[in-house]
Amino acid sequence: MSVAEEQVVSNEFALKLDQQFPGASLFVQQTVDEIATIWIERSRLREIIRFVKNSGFEMLFDLCGVDERMREHRDGLPAADFTIVYHFLSFREGTELRLKVGVSGEDANVPSIHDIYPNANWYEREAWDMFGVTFTNHPSLYRILLPSTWEGHALRKDHPARATEMEPFRMDFERQDKEQEALRFKPEEWGLTRRDENTEFMFLNLGPNHPSVHGVFRIVLQLDGEVIVDAVPEIGYHHRGAEKMGERQTWHTYIPYTDRIDYLGGVMNNLPYIMSVEKMAGIEVPDRAKVIRIMMAELFRISSHLVFYGTFAQDVGQMSPVFYMFSDRERLLRIVEAITGGRMHPAWFRIGGVAQDLPNGWDGMVRDFLDWMPKRLKQYENMAMKNSILRQRTHGVGVYTKDEALDWGVTGPGLRATGMDFDWRRDKPYGGYDQFDFEVPVYQNGDSFDRARVRVDEITQSLRIIEQCLNNMPAGPYKAVHPQTTPPPKERTMFDIETLIHHFLNVSWGPVIPAGECSVTIEATKGANMYYLTSDGGGSSYRTRIRTPSFPHLQQIPLISRGLLIPDLIAILASIDFVMADVDR
Amino acid sequence: MEWSLTQAEPDIPVVDTALDEHLRRNLVMTNLEDMLAWGRKNSIWPFNFGLSCCYVEMATSLTSRFDLARFGSEVIRATPRQADMIVISGTCFLKMAPVVQRLYEQLLEPKWVISMGSCANSGGMYDIYSVVQGVDKFLPVDVYVPGCPPRPDAFLQGLMLLQDAVGKERRPLSWVVDDQGVYKAAKTSQRDLRNESRIQATELRKPDHV
Repeated sequence: MSVAEEQVVSNEFALKLDQQFPGASLFVQQTVDEIATIWIERSRLREIIRFVKNSGFEMLFDLCGVDERMREHRDGLPAADFTIVYHFLSFREGTELRLKVGVSGEDANVPSIHDIYPNANWYEREAWDMFGVTFTNHPSLYRILLPSTWEGHALRKDHPARATEMEPFRMDFERQDKEQEALRFKPEEWGLTRRDENTEFMFLNLGPNHPSVHGVFRIVLQLDGEVIVDAVPEIGYHHRGAEKMGERQTWHTYIPYTDRIDYLGGVMNNLPYIMSVEKMAGIEVPDRAKVIRIMMAELFRISSHLVFYGTFAQDVGQMSPVFYMFSDRERLLRIVEAITGGRMHPAWFRIGGVAQDLPNGWDGMVRDFLDWMPKRLKQYENMAMKNSILRQRTHGVGVYTKDEALDWGVTGPGLRATGMDFDWRRDKPYGGYDQFDFEVPVYQNGDSFDRARVRVDEITQSLRIIEQCLNNMPAGPYKAVHPQTTPPPKERTMFDIETLIHHFLNVSWGPVIPAGECSVTIEATKGANMYYLTSDGGGSSYRTRIRTPSFPHLQQIPLISRGLLIPDLIAILASIDFVMADVDR
Repeated sequence: MEWSLTQAEPDIPVVDTALDEHLRRNLVMTNLEDMLAWGRKNSIWPFNFGLSCCYVEMATSLTSRFDLARFGSEVIRATPRQADMIVISGTCFLKMAPVVQRLYEQLLEPKWVISMGSCANSGGMYDIYSVVQGVDKFLPVDVYVPGCPPRPDAFLQGLMLLQDAVGKERRPLSWVVDDQGVYKAAKTSQRDLRNESRIQATELRKPDHV
């Protein structure tokens, strides 16, 4: 949709709401990204959201809180101490909608919508944990990212950010006992019974240290023998406070933190953040920078999918393929290191472009890699995907339908494996992807095998995109000429006072981005990754909301593993392809 | 097949004077202890444990190009009870700290700890409410490997430093025999040792060509 069309939709939807709910107070907010943003009142929240769902917004994309108490540039927005932001997505029409509800500090509660959109469950828990806003009628409003012994709500503006501003960490026996006791699983808290009429259930703890859970992830399984009756996933063991860190770092110095959100995605993570900042500042990136960014992002997509491929095969029992995939990944990382200087966390994209130009000889390296990969992929196809044991372990395991996927907020390959033909790169193109020719693999069964299938095919498509980047790399500057480009190109600094002043301010204070809100979603390696940034006209972000793809994916695990055996759960975990830093940030 | 045992290091490196006297007192036990230290250092079995991004680089060091197995760390164990060494690879989160503490307690002696990456060394760039500022706040660390994440080669260097240190360690042969003290080598900073040779570099490669 074009810019003008989105604004019409915004007012259009407000009109529809006005018609449906006469007398409801609505306020339309203009945001830089032109996504329809409407403030509604809490008393009509549930009925409005039900209406939203029936109007074709199949997915609750994100639910987050904002602490508005220190915000200066509010420009006529409704009074609120805390705001809960609901972000909806319609795949049918390709539109997005944001609804906001403001509450005061003394009366910080909002009705829960987990019965309308099931994936709201964990998002509401997170908003409670981080802001202290309660959600009435939520089945299990416990802390999710921080330990249950934590006091305070971390993303509130009065909560300290630094560990050095809080008491020094000490682990003595008492603390150890207290924390371990807090980690003990109590089935009654989750509505699970300890026995039924025939059997007594066994509660098995899988994680947070376990080779098969791919990181620090804990699932407590309610077992009847080896059959999983129910499962309760627990996250928060990887919470690094990235959102709070955004408020403390400048717009430029936050870039390395974005790298480490999806640690296999490298520079792909910089992209939505940087594009959001650029949109707010009004920076237009030159073509060469766009193509370089796409090439690097696709290289990291291949790197992440190779790790997935290897660990997926390993989890169903094949010990060898992972070594082959990792050695291919080494070839890829050699290219990345030659261009960016870093292997896993280059933090190479900059506001306005990329850090440096491509080195001489990069095209030879990329060409060699493109020549090498196809036959290796064929080898892996025979070794892993055609293997009958792998097929038996994954066909029909962990099945969910397209509607279930949409209900639970699944995006990326997990959604395309159910038959939904949607990819942000093709259907809501960003950063220059509309100039590229590639296919989007879609499969129908929604089981573990198809999810792996989608990712394996995506590797081939990414190679195709990289080849197009290689053949058609435009000449030109690698950074935009704009006052907020950080760091500004040095060449012009010595010629006139204007650029010298900008250079000095930019390098010392950092860029100052005008007040506003902007969100950018990309098709990241694991699914849809969105950065929703709120600027208050300062040198750092007022609120950095990171909507990561793996957070809702883990929420869905109990749904798809009930009635299966533990080895099936292992195959499911491998096929979801999550990264804990992506979940907990 | 004929084989014989020879000492790996005929010259015992003396670590400090107290150790020196201890060694002189017990010559027979000394040779046996040397052999045990050599065996210990060349077969350090790591624990399959990783917290965060550094774990990916640790896993990479287990794969073909970097191959940790060449250094004797062939067998990577999923249970702490069968492992010798725990590598805290990644950020130590507040929620995870009691779990790491329990895993460390489950490792049987002799055990060593490598702190891999900036986050494990000191909290790294995450001076934030939910991260412990360094795993040495509650665990004794033998080797610190800096980097964010350290390259697999850097991790291998850390392992080799640990092996050197373990080779210099002297532990009691059994709980009935010998002095029950554990004599560890002093931890030296690689920066101090190598500064002189590193400072000689005058030509730095420009990044504008591969």
